[in-house]
Amino acid sequence: MAQQSAGHTAVDSRTSAGKKRGPGQASPKVGRRRGDALAAAAFLAPNVAAYSLFVVIPAVAGLALAFFEWDLFGSPVFAGAANFAKMLDDRVLWTALINTAQYGVLGIAPTVLGGFALAVLVNAQMRGAMIIRVLYFVPLTMSVAVSSVLWSWLYQPESGMINSLLGLVGLDGPSWLSSTTWALPALTMMIIWLSLPLVIILYLAGLQKVPDSIIEAAMLDGAGSWARTWLIIWPNVRPVTLLVVGIEVLNFLSAPFEVALIMTDGGPLNATMPLSLYIYKVAFERLEIGYANALSMLQTFVILAVVGGIWFLRRRKATRT
Amino acid sequence: MRITGNVAIRYGVVIAGAALMAFPLLYLVSGSLMSAQDVIASPPHLLPPSIHLENFARAMDFLTPRTIVNSFVFALSVVLLQLLLGVPAGFALAKIPFRWTTAMVVLFVVPVLLPNNVSIIPTYLITRELGLLNSYTGMIIPIVGQTTFATLLFRQFYIDMPGELFDAARIDGASWFRMFTSIAVPLAKPAVAAYACVSFLTAWNMYIWPLVVAPSEQFRVLSVALAPLAGTDLLRLVPPNVSLAALLISLVPVLAAFLLVQRWFVKGLTGTGLD
Repeated sequence: MAQQSAGHTAVDSRTSAGKKRGPGQASPKVGRRRGDALAAAAFLAPNVAAYSLFVVIPAVAGLALAFFEWDLFGSPVFAGAANFAKMLDDRVLWTALINTAQYGVLGIAPTVLGGFALAVLVNAQMRGAMIIRVLYFVPLTMSVAVSSVLWSWLYQPESGMINSLLGLVGLDGPSWLSSTTWALPALTMMIIWLSLPLVIILYLAGLQKVPDSIIEAAMLDGAGSWARTWLIIWPNVRPVTLLVVGIEVLNFLSAPFEVALIMTDGGPLNATMPLSLYIYKVAFERLEIGYANALSMLQTFVILAVVGGIWFLRRRKATRT
Repeated sequence: MRITGNVAIRYGVVIAGAALMAFPLLYLVSGSLMSAQDVIASPPHLLPPSIHLENFARAMDFLTPRTIVNSFVFALSVVLLQLLLGVPAGFALAKIPFRWTTAMVVLFVVPVLLPNNVSIIPTYLITRELGLLNSYTGMIIPIVGQTTFATLLFRQFYIDMPGELFDAARIDGASWFRMFTSIAVPLAKPAVAAYACVSFLTAWNMYIWPLVVAPSEQFRVLSVALAPLAGTDLLRLVPPNVSLAALLISLVPVLAAFLLVQRWFVKGLTGTGLD
């Protein structure tokens, strides 16, 4: 599933989690009828069948295959915990884990804070704002493939736009994508750019729920609007921030996959290899299906730990205040 | 005076932000019109010194019409088939009293936490077991099966719809099927529009799945054709101006759709389909 759709489903689950029963569902004056369960089952059946076959069964099969050795051609051989033991000696795995953490550390905060700041900017009611706003959404239309090609031209060391602009102010830009130091930050930069529109849209929706008087007081009052934005508007969109942070954590755990595959193939010297891309290579280049599935379990565990950690911090903060 | 000064500053900042976000697109459009030398000139040109529309013809030779047709077939099939699965299921989970509703919703929410690369290996394996590698069916159907977004979006849409509408119909003895076809579906247009925009965009932009499941030339979609143009090697078969023209061709449908119905994209992305 692509990055965006992970986003909206998170919005959905959040808004619907609180209501077990919709306002129109089984209201007492009408009550349940005998055909209800049958009708519900009929409406759901094709969906659940397709979903089971292509989402649930593969997920369960993936779990099971983590305990086998398989090269796609023979039949799987039971390997016990061997695939997990292998992780301890896997140098590339540790590099990939550290890289994954780097993508998140470098990318999440700028995406969330930048998205908020830009949303406040374009939320202002001013002449022509609608037209300008569209320009902020440009990256939304670009696929990872398109933006990867485009940005690898922007990052060209000799003729690329970025180094040319740096040259104008007297800076000597690195050869971004072939530098072990700069390649990962360069990819992160592009992922931030790709991710900002969704964050802006979510904050714009959140800002509509903040009373106008607060926003006007904060924005239209001349000097100090910077401080007011962060001291007055920012605390008022906290629920959106929590949602956006969750989405971006998942995004920065998964988006570097295709980006690094297309732009650097994980190189140079594995410097941009995220865990997700490493798993893909283990599966589809080394054909070690069992080990790849064991690594997928590790990745899922990491995600649950991070998301669980955020949830825990949020709970603790909520009980304290 | 003070107020006009502030407004000017605000305009300045808003436009600067927009320029920064849209700059890569400007570079793309501009470069796709340049000659090969002008794209890599140093210092760089912001606007093309001369216009080279033949880049697009050469880009089409490289992309081939078949690739574009494949992308449309793939994206439109995913959207249409998911609608057929998602609208009735979302309706049932929102409006029909059913003891398994909560359990079903949980079942649909859980894979949100599974990243793309984790699900892709087993999904590939099952598609392979079904003998569907290198086929349109194999490309399309497993993605159609990922119904979480469609189901939850339509569920949310129907939850927000007043229940009295359906209560009245039930008291009059209408069946759920009847209520679905004559009330729920006709009223779902906004949600369908929002869903279709976002899902078309997502499917149109998919890269790794079509690459893995249907690698042969005849099933190639735009993303798969374009991705090899990136990378760090300087020996490229396709010159940069033609590359950029190819990128622009692939962007035209989504850019056009986005400019025409921006509000539906925004509604789809905020998840409920109506505000």
